[in-house]
Amino acid sequence: MAFPWLDAARYADSNGYQTDGERFMWRWRDWVIDAFNRNMPYDQFTVEQLAGDLLPNATLSQKIATGFNRNHRGNSEGGIVPEEYAAEYVVDRVDTTSTVFLGLTVGCARCHNHKFDPISQKEFYQLFAYFNNVPEHGKFRRVGNSPPYIAAPLPEQDAQLKRLDAELAAASAAWAALQPDVAQAQRNWERSLDTSANVGWAPARGLVAYYSFDTDLTPQVAVLNTTRSSRSPVYVSRADASTTLRGEQPVGTSAPGLVSGRIGRAANFDGKTFLQFGGDIAGFDSYGAGRGALGANDPTVTYDDGYTMAAWIYPTAPSGAIVTRDEDIVEPNGHGLNLRDGKIEYDYVTKWVDEGIRLRTQKPLALNQWHHVALTYTGSRWASGVKIFVDGENQKLEILLDDVNSQGAVKREPLRIGGGGGPDNRFRGSLDDVRIYNRALSPAEAGMLADLTSVNAIASLSEDKRTAAQADKIRDYFLEHALPASLAQARTRLANAQTSRDSFYQSLPTVMVMEDMPTPRETHILIRGMYDRPGEVVTPALPAALASSPTAYPPNRLGLARWLVDPSNPLTARVTVNRFWQLCFGAGIVKTAEDFGSQGEVPSHPELLDWLATEFVRTGWDVKALQKTIVMSATYRQSSRVSPDVRAKDPDNRLLARGPSARLSADIVRDQALSIAGLLVNKIGGPSVKPYQPEGLWNEIGGGGAYVQDHGDSLYRRSVYTFWRRTIPPPSMANFDASARESHMVRPVLTNTPLQALDLMNDVTFVEAARVFAERVMKEGGPSHRERIAYAFRAATARMPTAKETALLEDALVENLERFKAKSDAALKYVSHGERPRDPKLNVSELAAYTSVTSLILNLNEVVMKD
Amino acid sequence: MHPLVDSPLRIARRRFLGQAGVGIGMAALAELLQCDLFAQSAGSNGIGALPGLPHVAPKAKRVIYLFQSGAPSQLDLFDYKPQLAKMQGTDLPDSVRQGQRLTAMTAAQTSFPIAQSIFTFTQYGQSGAWLSELLPHTAKIADDLCFIKSLHTEQINHDPAVTFAQTGFQLAGRPSLGAWVSYGLGTMNQDLPAFVVMITGNGQALAERQWGTGFLPSRYQGVKLRSVGDPVLYVSNPEGFEASQRARFIQDLEKLNTLEFEATQNPEIPTRIAQYEMAFRMQASVPELTDLSKEPQHTFDLYGPDSKRPGTYAANCLMARRLAERGVRFIQVYHRAWDHHSGLPKAIRATCQQVDQPSAGLIQDLKERGLLDDTLVIWAGEFGRTVYSQGKLTADDYGRDHHPRAFTIWMAGGGVKPGITLGETDDYGYNVTADPVHVHDLNATILRCLGIDHTRLTFKYQGRNFRLTDTAGRVFQKALNFNASAGA
Repeated sequence: MAFPWLDAARYADSNGYQTDGERFMWRWRDWVIDAFNRNMPYDQFTVEQLAGDLLPNATLSQKIATGFNRNHRGNSEGGIVPEEYAAEYVVDRVDTTSTVFLGLTVGCARCHNHKFDPISQKEFYQLFAYFNNVPEHGKFRRVGNSPPYIAAPLPEQDAQLKRLDAELAAASAAWAALQPDVAQAQRNWERSLDTSANVGWAPARGLVAYYSFDTDLTPQVAVLNTTRSSRSPVYVSRADASTTLRGEQPVGTSAPGLVSGRIGRAANFDGKTFLQFGGDIAGFDSYGAGRGALGANDPTVTYDDGYTMAAWIYPTAPSGAIVTRDEDIVEPNGHGLNLRDGKIEYDYVTKWVDEGIRLRTQKPLALNQWHHVALTYTGSRWASGVKIFVDGENQKLEILLDDVNSQGAVKREPLRIGGGGGPDNRFRGSLDDVRIYNRALSPAEAGMLADLTSVNAIASLSEDKRTAAQADKIRDYFLEHALPASLAQARTRLANAQTSRDSFYQSLPTVMVMEDMPTPRETHILIRGMYDRPGEVVTPALPAALASSPTAYPPNRLGLARWLVDPSNPLTARVTVNRFWQLCFGAGIVKTAEDFGSQGEVPSHPELLDWLATEFVRTGWDVKALQKTIVMSATYRQSSRVSPDVRAKDPDNRLLARGPSARLSADIVRDQALSIAGLLVNKIGGPSVKPYQPEGLWNEIGGGGAYVQDHGDSLYRRSVYTFWRRTIPPPSMANFDASARESHMVRPVLTNTPLQALDLMNDVTFVEAARVFAERVMKEGGPSHRERIAYAFRAATARMPTAKETALLEDALVENLERFKAKSDAALKYVSHGERPRDPKLNVSELAAYTSVTSLILNLNEVVMKD
Repeated sequence: MHPLVDSPLRIARRRFLGQAGVGIGMAALAELLQCDLFAQSAGSNGIGALPGLPHVAPKAKRVIYLFQSGAPSQLDLFDYKPQLAKMQGTDLPDSVRQGQRLTAMTAAQTSFPIAQSIFTFTQYGQSGAWLSELLPHTAKIADDLCFIKSLHTEQINHDPAVTFAQTGFQLAGRPSLGAWVSYGLGTMNQDLPAFVVMITGNGQALAERQWGTGFLPSRYQGVKLRSVGDPVLYVSNPEGFEASQRARFIQDLEKLNTLEFEATQNPEIPTRIAQYEMAFRMQASVPELTDLSKEPQHTFDLYGPDSKRPGTYAANCLMARRLAERGVRFIQVYHRAWDHHSGLPKAIRATCQQVDQPSAGLIQDLKERGLLDDTLVIWAGEFGRTVYSQGKLTADDYGRDHHPRAFTIWMAGGGVKPGITLGETDDYGYNVTADPVHVHDLNATILRCLGIDHTRLTFKYQGRNFRLTDTAGRVFQKALNFNASAGA
């Protein structure tokens, strides 16, 4: 049941289009499988998938269900016009929803009125309007899920999350309860301070690089991430490096001088020379390197590393690099904090011009004076995760670009101070107290950095005379240095609870979902279906020819879904039961399951269709009951073997003169072979797995890495779990007509080709299955050849072989036995295919001979057909 | 030569044809016989061709489409624009651009500096074809080629543009050119697939659907011929199981399936039997195809040193000739290596090293073997490249973004007028000024060379008679060496 639904829902584990990077929708697949197993009523199944998020008090499960309409492809190709594809996604939703639930080719009305059915182009866009309200980007993330997506914990993860949330709440409450004591302790401590001293303070936690430039140009704090990393700067000047630098090129003789700074001394930059440090100091990375189980570039990690860059700047020119880790060329990829025409600009660019986050402060700052600048980034991969503070104040920002959609610069650029971004981007002026943190500082902490009042001086001010930054600073100092142990414990507990909860949350699987923006997007008719030719404005509405009381439903997806499963809807129940019939019989009562319109075929048995449809509704849309009704019917239980006369009168079985006879679908061909062999692993749910596939297929056709095959049980899961990459779907499945999942498919067209023959004979999946099947046969089938053959035959065909069949198979067995006895190394090779170890107790030549027979059996027409 | 000449297949045919009371009906029989492995359509040389096809006598029986994926820079290879020197570094005028939409990669550039080609152009052959120094081998055979400089398309991104070029529609879901040809004309060789695809390079990605069948029956799918592992997937028997065992296996399978047929009369069975027969033949024909040991050294020399290395464009060009010799109808060679957004001069040199000699070698090889006259060869990408530089323009470096409005292809062989350059572009190489040839027109022309009227090769789906050229396409007569509107 699930596999055909995945075909209809165009489920895949990749985005499609050009890059076809991985995405994660398996939590939605889990939902589908669970829904079928629990026999969720089909109306509920429909409503939750189309509008689960809009149900009152929507549960996580109901939200996950809406992944149905995010399964469409998503384009991440460099240079696309996002609006073009944003339109395609919505078109796909209309098309898929209409085909799957209404059996109508509404997609034909995208560009003009439907030529045959009563659906106007306007009505197409009125349907479009239902699905056009998602806060999504036209350009998808290259790898991973694209917004909107939600954390979708598995039940045991959910339980863990709840425990962590509870602990966090308790720790917060405990700390909050102690605040009066903390405040009192702080006051006591303040009184004890020596007012003549001058202790400075800046946030310490997470500091991974710190340059005071008081004595020299080397850092006071530097987390060195590689053995090549060095605290000694390399001085680079324009005179020495021709036009651009790649990576770390040395050279330079003139170092920036040290001058009087904001705090102590500062480094002075002349617009030619900058500082560069070897290796990886204070590194941070996109895609949270190392955080995911797959290491760097693990696509399951949805967050970058957060960080903060801060410095005191005294600019004498309006533009120049402050702190960067980007390429030293114009329009560099990488991360950069720059001064640009007097404004502070942050560029986190994964591909110039259109991929990254770029923003700029709106208010320019005055030159020739000291300012504190701080940039904080939460790692969210959104511009909204970035803040820029000037002199402690959170700045209003102009967003130039908000489209991170791939990993950060692959070649890690070294840390540079006063440089990066090309030879014309060198800083002019002084830089002091450069700090890098491995987390996004809070606004309070950014304020602290900009305030230079000593702790002692603050202590001597009365509380109401302190600025917010000063109050934060002294409290922070106190908490870090002088908090009594009895109170510190609660603080540590809170910090730990927060970290545990955050890192666990960030490790949860996500799933893409439907959401509606609070203000609906305006929908236009698109003239000739073109994204850039908007016509008349339209709002959500149901097709007039179908909806008897169109205004009875709210104009949103929930209204649409409820209309679809309303008993007055003439189509949904019929279309659905027709597909169940198709599943059982190989063809629907309406053969064109995707088209109940005038161009489709008329039902072969209209009253039967009506009865099944009304029964379905009457039983509360009970899916299992309907299956049972069909398979227990006399019609289904007919034999497919009939006299030539009968066959001649009803060659395609449209008159249901015989039982069904159709080739098994791709997934069942494989699942059956595994099941017969005893290899099939029945585990339910979880991420997609990668069974056997010929080598090099992915690399040949595109980027995105090689196919890394799984091992062990993952090789033998049901095919519904097979990793599906749209541009290069599993070839064995494709050979047997599986949909590539580029778009919806509700009617498989089964073929008969030599590639299938080659597959069944030579694909390691089937060769191994035959061998393991043969092991079963030898162990369970009895002592004699004859008994074993009968056992094998029966296991695969559900009947005993006739005398002729037995004779043939015995003959084949004996000949192969002689052959394999004579060539024992060939026998050994033949029984060693696949990763399942063979039973060493079985004679190798005999096993090889039996394998050739079980392989023969698995290739029988009768075995790959249902009849 | 192989054990299935007197196969049970024939026995089965005789049996079900001769069996008393089978009553399968002539209609059903005819349908069966029409499947690709039985029938000979009257008047065609294709097994499994549609009745009435080809519509007229074809000039080409087979196609080799050398698809240059990523989009070659026509301004650095073919379309010589000496006036660009005067405009070097100046901004592309709006009067030339005329609002052409740009990819997001350059749309936000503050300037669009004209970048002349740093490569030298010369004229070659009697035809005086202009080619840059990057294509010395192509230059030698210029008189065999028809250059068309006025190709144009609408798409500006790779995936939809390749989809457009291959299927005649920007959105995925329609059959590819090879699938249409395979569907219309059938196969000339029962032992090999009718539509074969080979891929090299590691530039922009491709997708299976670009040689797919869309709504046509999936047996017309392009079958990949690979250089890693099994040349055709699953063609090799598992280690330890020999060909003679496989022959016996298939014989046994046929006998068993025939017994089932006797009991059930299921018409799927003879078809399935036939598929196993073909599979067995492929197990012989594919190794024979890929075995280069009998190719003389001078052939490898013709295609260049790469041709002995499997997994190179050169090796695939040689393989294309071998496929052509063996009657494979539609052969596509994809080379993913042309998307030169930056560092173009260096990168294009490298790509031309891979592509120039083998492409020219293929033409010469076909010619020498007398195959060029009835083989249509096309050398084309999915769009062109911009005259303005993407990224920084320097004296010796520049990049070019995607450009749909004008690009250059060449054709040769069956039906094509050789030694001619057609179509013109403006001084910027930006707009077509004479003889525009749209992607649809190119496809219509290809079909015409095969004897197919593109408006009459259709398939009804969702109530509409679809065709490769959608609702467009005009045969580009000037490129042809015959009168396309004449019947014969």
